[in-house]
Amino acid sequence: MALPPNLSEAEFAAALREFEAAVGADWVFSSDEDVALYRDSYSIYWGEEEEIIASAAVAPANVEQVQKIVHIANRYLIPIYPISTGRNLNYGGAAPTLTGSVVVDLKRMNRILKVDDKRNFALVEPGVSYFDLYNYIKEHDLKVMLDIPDPGWGSPMGNSLDHGVGYTFSPYRDHFGAHCGLEIVSAEGELIRTGAGAIPGSDAWQDFHYGAGPTIDGLFAQSNFGIVTKMGIKLMPLPETYLSGTVTVPRYQDFQAMIEEVSYLEDSFLIGMPSYDSPVGGTPFGPSPITELMQNGWPSLEQLEEFVVAQNKPAWSVTLQFYGPEETVRANWAAAQRRFRNKIQGVDFQEGDFYNLPIPDEDIPALPDKVRFGIPNLEVFHLVARNPATDNGPPDGHADMFTMTPRTAEGVHTAARVLAEAFQELGFPPATHPFSAPATYYSRAFVVAILLPTWRDASKNSASRELYGRCLDKIAEVGMGTYRTAPAFQDQAVSKYSFNNNALLKFQEKLKDSIDPNGIISPGRYGIWPVNMRNNRG
Amino acid sequence: MSKLTIFCFTLIFFVSGVQAQEITFAQASGKVVFDKWCTPCHGRVAGGLFGGFGANDLPGTSALGVKYKGDLPAVLEDRTDLVPIYIRTVVRNGLYGMPISRKTEISDAELEGIIAYLTQPR
Repeated sequence: MALPPNLSEAEFAAALREFEAAVGADWVFSSDEDVALYRDSYSIYWGEEEEIIASAAVAPANVEQVQKIVHIANRYLIPIYPISTGRNLNYGGAAPTLTGSVVVDLKRMNRILKVDDKRNFALVEPGVSYFDLYNYIKEHDLKVMLDIPDPGWGSPMGNSLDHGVGYTFSPYRDHFGAHCGLEIVSAEGELIRTGAGAIPGSDAWQDFHYGAGPTIDGLFAQSNFGIVTKMGIKLMPLPETYLSGTVTVPRYQDFQAMIEEVSYLEDSFLIGMPSYDSPVGGTPFGPSPITELMQNGWPSLEQLEEFVVAQNKPAWSVTLQFYGPEETVRANWAAAQRRFRNKIQGVDFQEGDFYNLPIPDEDIPALPDKVRFGIPNLEVFHLVARNPATDNGPPDGHADMFTMTPRTAEGVHTAARVLAEAFQELGFPPATHPFSAPATYYSRAFVVAILLPTWRDASKNSASRELYGRCLDKIAEVGMGTYRTAPAFQDQAVSKYSFNNNALLKFQEKLKDSIDPNGIISPGRYGIWPVNMRNNRG
Repeated sequence: MSKLTIFCFTLIFFVSGVQAQEITFAQASGKVVFDKWCTPCHGRVAGGLFGGFGANDLPGTSALGVKYKGDLPAVLEDRTDLVPIYIRTVVRNGLYGMPISRKTEISDAELEGIIAYLTQPR
């Protein structure tokens, strides 16, 4: 069994007894068998000395029990690590950021406190999943639509607090951007509500999230300054219809003009999430058909244009999504086509799906890309599930490398090029290429995504680790970073945000020392270590 | 009485008219837990196997179809060879891309229900 740092077995046993008194003996997990359930299923250090292992887990049922846990942790100087549903796979799962931490498992706090389809918000506890919230909305016939990430068993609150993202309209798919009000147990055990929630008797907590004075909500996302116990979520009114349409452009160098037009449409709130692709290059997750073209290095523009012509396919495509009344979605699609036609020679259009919303229950199982409609599912696990290509040994997990780029063709191509260099430098075939298309999870930035396999085999993970680390270094050399990563890479990822001699991290550390003087909350999360543990940075 | 319990009783009542002696409480409640936690990956396939990312099939069912190639059913609920220790081990340890399930998600009692449901005589 792992022990919390600097604690004897006897002291830890005493602390566990206090935890049991706080939440009930059934909800303190300290046997090896039970603590093993808090391993990160996708750990890139699985079975190695560096794998981060909890010492115990404690599962409170309410806010008062969370406060008691925090008080106990402060008395014994035990690091605690809150999780919501614990399904943050690829970003640490249910495991902490420091070996010996006690996981505070908030899954039992699973109340949906309110869903209002007139003011369009929800108020939830951490243990609520997207499945739960969706089912609640359906059961109560509420006219709102969720924006969801891929796996439906995740927590709306936890996903938002880890800067998770979705698939519909821009104000909603930045999930932390769409939060409205927090309730927090501070590192010293005090209960705080933000925004109008700080006004006793206010009914506007989810309507007015600023309050007066500085907002502190951002301090509780990707951080370790407190334990969030309630969160408001802005919801989209259920649209009447959905329409998609795909735009293709013929030349490699048309990509920038395409991006500019899509950005106009998205920033004017005329479209939902755009999905870029390259008919000649495959998706960000797919195999590249241009391996041969890249054998002699990054191709010239002339070579790329010749390649496109030889393929007899458009160079780029983007699928636009329209949500709203049928009159407006069709009008917006028509306007989009007019604007593209005026801007790019040879542009072509293909109208896609049209649905009246909500989609009838009987049609949902066969519906592709359910996330477009906020219908939770687990179909994204195809990414790692055994398939004919991996039949001899499917991976046990994945470590996703997300490169955030400016919303430009040059940004995407630069990221693709340096990531390809990282792979080639280490002797691997490149996973990116000149036709790598960006994801648009965030409306104002692009993401170039690479999935690396992880294994429950200590002999196999070093290659993925080395690749991941090299990618982080390479993108930083061209001024780019990542938005989210597993604990194994959090120190390295935040170290790239080093402007003015790491002024940002120094400021965060000052906050940490002041807000959490004993350094008990999630030490090391996103590179923020308490003062007595800063030599843990690695 | 929780919604889960009410649903379990309803299910038993519904099923009892057909084959009362064959469905136990554990099996019926196990199906409820199975439907919540397992069906989104291991349910019956809506649109055929191997559709891949963005398609309308289910990853767990698809993966088992690839693995067993027809020697065993791809749908867990059609299997007759599953034994309790195997189900318990996979749920608590995960397998390949399937992650570990904690006791705050699926309690030991609920896991025994899943086992009763998947190992019932068919």
